[in-house]
Amino acid sequence: MIWQTLYDNLPFLMHGTWVALQLLAALLALGLVLGLTLALGQVYGPWPARLGGWAFERVFRGVPAVVLLLLFYYGVTDFVALSSFLAAVLALGLRSAAYQSQIFRGAIQSVPAGQMQAARAIGMGRWQAIRTIVLPQAARHAIGPWTNEFSSELKATSLAYVIGVVELTRQAKYIVSNTQGNILIVFGVVALIYFIVNRLGNAVLYRVEARLAVPGFERRSP
Amino acid sequence: MTKSDEEVLRVEDLHKRYGDHAVLRGVSLTLTRGEAKVVMGSSGTGKSTLLRCINHLSPPDAGRVLLEGQPLTPATLNAMRRHIAFVFQDFNLFTHLKVIDNVRLGQRRILKRSKAAATERAMQELERVGLADRAHYYPAQLSGGQQQRASIARALAMDPKVILFDEPTSALDPELTGEVVTVMKQLASEGMTMLVVSHEVGFARTAADEIVFMDGGTIVEQGPPSTLFANPAHERTRAFLKVITHQESA
Repeated sequence: MIWQTLYDNLPFLMHGTWVALQLLAALLALGLVLGLTLALGQVYGPWPARLGGWAFERVFRGVPAVVLLLLFYYGVTDFVALSSFLAAVLALGLRSAAYQSQIFRGAIQSVPAGQMQAARAIGMGRWQAIRTIVLPQAARHAIGPWTNEFSSELKATSLAYVIGVVELTRQAKYIVSNTQGNILIVFGVVALIYFIVNRLGNAVLYRVEARLAVPGFERRSP
Repeated sequence: MTKSDEEVLRVEDLHKRYGDHAVLRGVSLTLTRGEAKVVMGSSGTGKSTLLRCINHLSPPDAGRVLLEGQPLTPATLNAMRRHIAFVFQDFNLFTHLKVIDNVRLGQRRILKRSKAAATERAMQELERVGLADRAHYYPAQLSGGQQQRASIARALAMDPKVILFDEPTSALDPELTGEVVTVMKQLASEGMTMLVVSHEVGFARTAADEIVFMDGGTIVEQGPPSTLFANPAHERTRAFLKVITHQESA
């Protein structure tokens, strides 16, 4: 009976979900740190930083995620030993950095130039003004688009399946193989799990957005 | 109007060009302690650029700025800017911070005052500009006139040696201009050293020690308001004053 099978395999599905969440957290963190660095370089940096950021963004936004995964796993592992999990973090994380850099670049640029001038005029250094004035305002502009990025990347973790990361989608495939069929129900349950995680994540991010909202930075309707 | 002979700000032969256009072509002036100077002139004559060059928000191409005898250089810039407050045409309050935090921020981060001291001082300055009851509002919740008064409070809390006002009322409706001008007049009468780019004839007449008239990137004429308004020597000054005093009476 398929329900019994699903029940018996629930620990595997949960473990797969846990791996997917770890992959998501790692790739978003890499994307956040690198994306913010690239964005700051593109807005405030000298021309090599702008050019480098631009080239990086073009490459990683222009190549399909599955191709990146294959390149990092099969291509790079010829030179450096990488687990499939680490290869997935790098491939998807660098790709996310490219997307996040554009979210942050736009958010930073939407802070009016007068804010920086006012900060410099009271004697702040450039970096101090960026940290205390520009970034807190940019964060409020970025949180909405960043919520979209979270959703996209959660779903993109399922692609790590192709290089053998045993995440949620691959666990589902194992269950299907072991039980000869039941594709619709097994993947239906998996879809539901992705859906729930996505909703929960969005709910948390909307709360963050609401907390950051101040008059002048009203929350956009979710 | 409690002017002394002690020199606070000296501007020597400032030049600035944007591309092919020479905006400042050798501007020199001095401000003594307690002096209020108003810079007038038609738009595009370099008034705002002059103010921006003084605190190096736009670095001048040539010339020097000295504050109490010390030249502004790239190395001393951040340390010296705290003494030269700047009030912007469009206020530029930090939009993500409450009014009180706008007035506290520079005190805390730049002057390293304690939170209690910064709060006390911020409330004093907000009281002075009539905004104590708006301390916990965000800038977006204030009218333009209130925002500009808050930005003046932010400037004052830094204990500046001089305040530069860049057309502080130009972005305001006529009925909001008055409340800002009142605050500025009060500052001038209390002996604040200020350099004001403005077309507020009322302020210039009653609060300024001297009017500086600029045209084409240079100072064409300067003198006390009584003289300059009554007997402008230069043809450009006459033409300009005719237009703006006419607007005022209209």
